[in-house]
Amino acid sequence: MEISLIDAAIKGFMNILHLKVFLAMCVGVSIGTFTAVAPQGLGMPLVYAIMLPVVIKWEPVTGIALLIGASSVSAICAAYLPVLFGIPGGSGSQATVLDGYPMGKRGEAKRALGASFMAGGMGCLIGTFTLAAAIPAAKPLIYLMGSPELFVVVLWGLSMVAVLAGRRPLKGLIAAAFGLLLATVGQQEQSGIMRFVFDQPYLLDGISVSIIALALFGIPAALDLALMRLGVEQQPAPLTGKLFDGVKDTIREWWLVVRCSFIGVWVGIVPGIGSQVVDWFAYGHAAQSCKGGAATFGTGDVRGVIAPESANDAKDGGDLVTTLLLGFPQGVVTALFIVALLAWGYLPGPEMIKKNPEVIYSVVWIQGISGIVGTLIGFGLSTQLAKLAQVRYSVMVPIIFIFVLMGAFSVTRDPADLLAVVGFGILGYLMRRFGYPRPAMILGLVLGSLMERYLYRSMASYGFTWLARPAVMVLLILAGTSFFFAVRGRMKSAARNDDDS
Amino acid sequence: MTAKFTLFFVAVFAGAVWWGWEWPYIAKLMPVYVAAIPGLVLSVIQLIGEASGSEVSRAKRAEGIEMDDTYKAGVDKKTEMRRTLTYFAWFIGGAAGIWLLGIVITLPLLVFLYMLVEGREKLIPSVIMAACTYGMIWGLFEYTLEMRWPPGLLFGY
Repeated sequence: MEISLIDAAIKGFMNILHLKVFLAMCVGVSIGTFTAVAPQGLGMPLVYAIMLPVVIKWEPVTGIALLIGASSVSAICAAYLPVLFGIPGGSGSQATVLDGYPMGKRGEAKRALGASFMAGGMGCLIGTFTLAAAIPAAKPLIYLMGSPELFVVVLWGLSMVAVLAGRRPLKGLIAAAFGLLLATVGQQEQSGIMRFVFDQPYLLDGISVSIIALALFGIPAALDLALMRLGVEQQPAPLTGKLFDGVKDTIREWWLVVRCSFIGVWVGIVPGIGSQVVDWFAYGHAAQSCKGGAATFGTGDVRGVIAPESANDAKDGGDLVTTLLLGFPQGVVTALFIVALLAWGYLPGPEMIKKNPEVIYSVVWIQGISGIVGTLIGFGLSTQLAKLAQVRYSVMVPIIFIFVLMGAFSVTRDPADLLAVVGFGILGYLMRRFGYPRPAMILGLVLGSLMERYLYRSMASYGFTWLARPAVMVLLILAGTSFFFAVRGRMKSAARNDDDS
Repeated sequence: MTAKFTLFFVAVFAGAVWWGWEWPYIAKLMPVYVAAIPGLVLSVIQLIGEASGSEVSRAKRAEGIEMDDTYKAGVDKKTEMRRTLTYFAWFIGGAAGIWLLGIVITLPLLVFLYMLVEGREKLIPSVIMAACTYGMIWGLFEYTLEMRWPPGLLFGY
């Protein structure tokens, strides 16, 4: 029986009023904070890949609390590395380096951090409110969508890989096709036919997404640390200045925070833009719209920290809109979140809105509360957290080794897990080395099983006539048009560069 | 070298088409028609572009968002090669150690040796980190959560 959205919102809140859920959220927030602060190696995709095999055995809301708790704060405290070392703390905080590091070098590191915590917390809340508002707004539209429409929506998301793959769209599509192919390894759910199993019992259930994600992201990330010898060959800026100055700056620039937060939400919702650009969009907007920005941005202007940090945090709310309401992820983290939801028996998208709206609202509540807790942790423990950012590679690399090897081996405890993690680790290194985007492969891998499910249902129910459904045709036109314009824009820019040279 | 890596994808997609061709339609729809055939076509185009050199110049000219972080070693080529090989030797050694000795022995040992030998840390921090690792693997997983790790080939896996 369906329940009203207000009842679902209340029930979603009641679901999280359990000690173990609250504790899981706090552990998630702590993990997310550590991940954001620790030297580059531990990105959120890696953390999700490590936690996935563990949390899918938990009760759903407790597992959701851990995962969302971690990801919702990962951007709030992401300014430590940009401000102290002048290196990006992860995707979404690259633009922060431009003004954060000059502030750090001139003795205003704490002011920059205070601004980033406050802007991040406000951005997170704006993103969460948008997510909450999107559920009732999208519900009538979502009810019109069946398997054929959802297949086209997922296909649309995948086609955007070509746009996301920057200067090498073909490589992005090849990586996505490879992910789709890997998703079909094992026994087919619908027919029971073995595909690419080669008489290996290990491959019967397919290759674990956790192992692939751990290897693809963990191994190259730790290699970066080992190559750069962070903390040994690179020294941080001094942690001086006042946190509260940054808070005052952010409150004074509240309208900039609101504008950039909505840029973040928009980037999260629109298929195919991704976290790599959210900070640059916000930074570019701020540099153009702020008074005197053209002259001061890039030299240590606090608005150059506020803009990207608020957008980066708000983006998570937008990401969850498409993940929960349409069932397709915008990046690796939400792709792995979908894997967890599927393992708990939820099918993200219209089916989840119809059958489990209270779980969606639990996600909303956890997202908002975690954002507040993460901001408070940032303010309360700024000095201690700064020490974490200075952990040497010689400590971080073995920690990553532990989590990657233990995370992979815990999936089935089969020695073949070790072979798989080594193989995919080397593949991840080579993909990164030769410009094949790893997120495209993960998107293909996760969306592959959803695509096959929707395609099978569409073919079984309608044959090829599903292609003539009006909503399918509209979505195909939208997908085709957005793909065409994206590719045309790229060709124009290449032609323009040709003329320039 | 990039072309050689693209050749890997060509081989994988070609192999998938060959293997899946005889499957019933419903089984080969996704792997063959949606993934492998388009993947094969795209990777062959990519390979031709790389072999002719046009892909490299096009990529240099083009603008756009990068989905993944781009590779920048930040050190000279010789150092990069040495550090990369050393890194993978440690990692593969760790995986082989788990297979032979079991995870409870290997991971603390890996942490201790990496910190001491590769990271040139002092003995005491290396021992403390190794002890913490052992505490987490044995104390938390084996003792508290009763999650038994396999003992390793040499101890009767």
